Amino acid sequence: MSGAVSRLLHRVPDAALGPLLIAPLVLILGAVVFLPLVAALALSLFEVNTLTLDAAWAGLGNFARLFGDEGRFWSALLVTLVWTGGTLALQLLVGVGLALLLNEDMRFRSLARSLVLFPYFVSTVVAVLVWRWLFNDFFGLANQLLIGAGLIAEPVDWLGTMPNAMLSLIVVGAWKFFPFVVITVLARLQTIPPQLYEAARLDGAGAWARFRDVTLPQIADVLAITVLLRAVWDFKEFDLVYLLTGGGPVNATRTLPLIVYQEAFGLNRIGMASAYAVAMMLVMSLFFLVYRRVSKGQG
Amino acid sequence: MAEGLTRRSVLAGAAALPLAGCAADDDRIPLRWWSPQAAPAQVRAYRAQIKMFEAANPRFRVLFEPTSDEGYPAQFAAAFAARQPPNIVTHLPSFAAQNYYAKGLIEPADALLARIGAERFLPGANDVYRAPDGRLSAVALGGTAVDMLWVRKDLLAAAGMAAPRTWDELRRYCQRLRPRGIYGAPLPYGSNSMTSLIFIGFIHRAGGQVFTPDLDIALDSAPVYDALDFYRSMREYCPPGATSFGWSDSLNAFVSGATATGIYGGRVLINVARQNPRIADEIDCLTYPTASPQIPAWTFNDFPSVFIPRGVSHPAETLALAASLFDRAGYVRQLLAAPGHVLPVLHGITDDPAYMGNPVTSLFQPEIERMTVAAAGGHNLGFETPAHRPNARAGEVIASNAIAELVQRVVINGENARQSVGRAVDMIARVMKA
Amino acid sequence: MRGTLAHLVRTLLCWACILLIVFPLLWMLLTSFKPEDEVFSVPVKLLPEEWTIEYYRILIEETAFPTYFLNSFVVSTATTLLVVAVATIGAYSIVRFSYRGRAFIASGILLSYLLPSVVLIIPLYMMMVEIGLANSLASLVLAYASFALPFALWLLRSFMAAIPEDLESAAMIDGASRLEAFVDVVLPQALPGIISTMLFTFILAWNEYLFALVLVNADAVRPLTTGVMTMLVSGFNIEWSLLMAASVLMSLPLIVILAFLQSYLVRGFGAGAVKG
Repeated sequence: MSGAVSRLLHRVPDAALGPLLIAPLVLILGAVVFLPLVAALALSLFEVNTLTLDAAWAGLGNFARLFGDEGRFWSALLVTLVWTGGTLALQLLVGVGLALLLNEDMRFRSLARSLVLFPYFVSTVVAVLVWRWLFNDFFGLANQLLIGAGLIAEPVDWLGTMPNAMLSLIVVGAWKFFPFVVITVLARLQTIPPQLYEAARLDGAGAWARFRDVTLPQIADVLAITVLLRAVWDFKEFDLVYLLTGGGPVNATRTLPLIVYQEAFGLNRIGMASAYAVAMMLVMSLFFLVYRRVSKGQG
Repeated sequence: MAEGLTRRSVLAGAAALPLAGCAADDDRIPLRWWSPQAAPAQVRAYRAQIKMFEAANPRFRVLFEPTSDEGYPAQFAAAFAARQPPNIVTHLPSFAAQNYYAKGLIEPADALLARIGAERFLPGANDVYRAPDGRLSAVALGGTAVDMLWVRKDLLAAAGMAAPRTWDELRRYCQRLRPRGIYGAPLPYGSNSMTSLIFIGFIHRAGGQVFTPDLDIALDSAPVYDALDFYRSMREYCPPGATSFGWSDSLNAFVSGATATGIYGGRVLINVARQNPRIADEIDCLTYPTASPQIPAWTFNDFPSVFIPRGVSHPAETLALAASLFDRAGYVRQLLAAPGHVLPVLHGITDDPAYMGNPVTSLFQPEIERMTVAAAGGHNLGFETPAHRPNARAGEVIASNAIAELVQRVVINGENARQSVGRAVDMIARVMKA
Repeated sequence: MRGTLAHLVRTLLCWACILLIVFPLLWMLLTSFKPEDEVFSVPVKLLPEEWTIEYYRILIEETAFPTYFLNSFVVSTATTLLVVAVATIGAYSIVRFSYRGRAFIASGILLSYLLPSVVLIIPLYMMMVEIGLANSLASLVLAYASFALPFALWLLRSFMAAIPEDLESAAMIDGASRLEAFVDVVLPQALPGIISTMLFTFILAWNEYLFALVLVNADAVRPLTTGVMTMLVSGFNIEWSLLMAASVLMSLPLIVILAFLQSYLVRGFGAGAVKG
């Protein structure tokens, strides 16, 4: 570092450095998140028309309505939890599994690793269009293969009946986002000393025991972060669910983000939409507190 | 530090780009034009119209900005909320225009109509835009006969039937096709707006209506239950995936030959020409069958509109721009960008050799004629019959998914029809009250 | 244990899984070379009978696709650089220093990550209009920063927490200032983590749709996601062939970047590199 800059930096006392370094982040987030966040919280207390922004005071009326009988919060929460839990579990399962497979020495390993990350790259909108095509009755390979193999006579309704709709959603969601798990876990796996496995093998441990006793504890911290980040992201996910099933059949896959969007731009009730969003935040905060407690307990 | 240099120059570039539009070499005044119909062919037609306008008004330039067909509510909400609306908006459905007008966000269109010349329009073309205060919320740019029945003449012949005119005939036709393994129809049973819009048509073809002329909810009536019955009975003749059909799924099902009938507008012609020319000679269209011969046909027309938001810059030139879209040569060219799908609402276009000179329009002239007539007499939820008061909340009723949910509960879940209708009535009442 | 049967089986299994996973994208690629009347052929054929690059040509020569591409590139790069720079020093601050309000700030940042972004759109757009940035690439950069920053901060915080303090202490004993220690000791250690974060942020910005839809309406500043979707996908009609070609072109830069950064990614989350 140049002498002048170095001398300047020596002058900044440590006590001031901490806040100084976090200042840009706070400033940006303050402007682009905090202000709109406050606006959203404020909006949730009014009945506001999205187009004209005409507002009428509602107090906690929006919340009373959404938590009450007329409201769709509880059923949508259940749907969202099923979706999040299901796709997260599958993401972890496939992610860890593939990370283990990709950890081995094999030919074209780099190529394999690059290929496996593709679903994460492609835009969600495009990915869903392609998947809808694959599920199509007439042009979709999914049905073609099953019919060709003689397993079914008529095409399957993948997206419009239950439990298919939720299962398809979970699978497509897992397909789209599992590479994130692969990246995080694989990197960690690469650094586990082989001696640990050797020792376990000498002790007579089978493959599963080796995984449970050697691998799992080593990747636990990475998994914890991954679970947190993915859970929040999946809970908030809008594009995938909206485009794949649209919330149907009836409301079987209508997650909370879909309701927020519908209230804001379909029904033009941005006050209500904000109330749903705030309720979502409360739920996620609750889970985060639980997560914190659990990880503190283990840490 | 190399990284710092790149970052600075990149940010400089990013900041400069939006300014680039205002750079010195173009100081003409911009007028913005938004439309969700922006396929490359259509944009070419618009650009031709823009060129002519700019030549006549050299102080101005027109920026055509496509909006999303699905996501335009969010875009417009933001534009209106921030008081940054575009100068003109085209191709939004009539109920969107009525909704914005009712909220005081767009200008009355009477001046625009006068400028274009009211007598140039086909009779009744602008009735759908009459607002409760007696003025027009928008002007019709074109018409679309969205739910025509499309048939295959070869399949009809094979089944030994004439084209169905009633629901019973349609069902019988589908039954005859069953053994051949061909699906009868691509009706939608999804949790989406297409299902709502299509089913509203069936309610009318059973002799019913969603609202009374005074806008009381009329769902709890015999025709609606008849329509639900019929719609449920058709489920077995539709593909399994119909439970999540959108417009393009339904269209593809017919165009590819997987279903014997289709329910769509003129885009069938374009797609058949491009994707499955083999059936081009066999397709034909008519108004959709009704429950009984006494019930008149009812066609869904979303009435692509043109309107001018309130508070735009340069209202005089904006008006001129909107009116110029109806200048004959440009208008014909715009229609031909989506031939048969957006139909003319002005007199004399269908006879115009320029309009007929297009391969699609010349090949399918009788079909286009039929669609134009059907569209001219068409309706939608915002305007169910000429006797109805305009319904500015129609768009929100559709967005609430109440009608699609009704269809799904009864057909897919097998729930009790009375209870499901009651539910739908409650949902719609809430939307209308808000 | 190369050469054993078990190893062979696992390798085959691995490639089978990969084929399944990549299949939709393979299908996308093949469709982009099919002429339009083959796209909807029944029964479905995987390979084109007639290969054509017509749709790529149309995209590049006759539409605004190149403009959209450039816009996406500029926005994603700017967002990545901004977000990662700010989040790196921010993470260092949270992890190494203690000052009043630190916990509050950390919680606040987490809270902002929990908010569904749909609800921020209109207030954010109005703010952009207010400060005169509406309809510009800069507004997108700021908007993307709103949800990329908390994510990046959380990742980087975990990376930095795992770097042992002794190294910095040693450097400072040798006379380096805090910041010099940061630049000379911490940054190189955290580099794989920083690069991982950069990659994730770039992907986030590159594929974002909803904010771009609302915040930017002029073609000259439109990014790829909304540009391609608006141009080719409407409720009534999807231009499939063009869409597939566009999707392939949209994914290309990410693949290229990944090819270069793959090794960093893997090291990024390596041993002791991450702490909760």
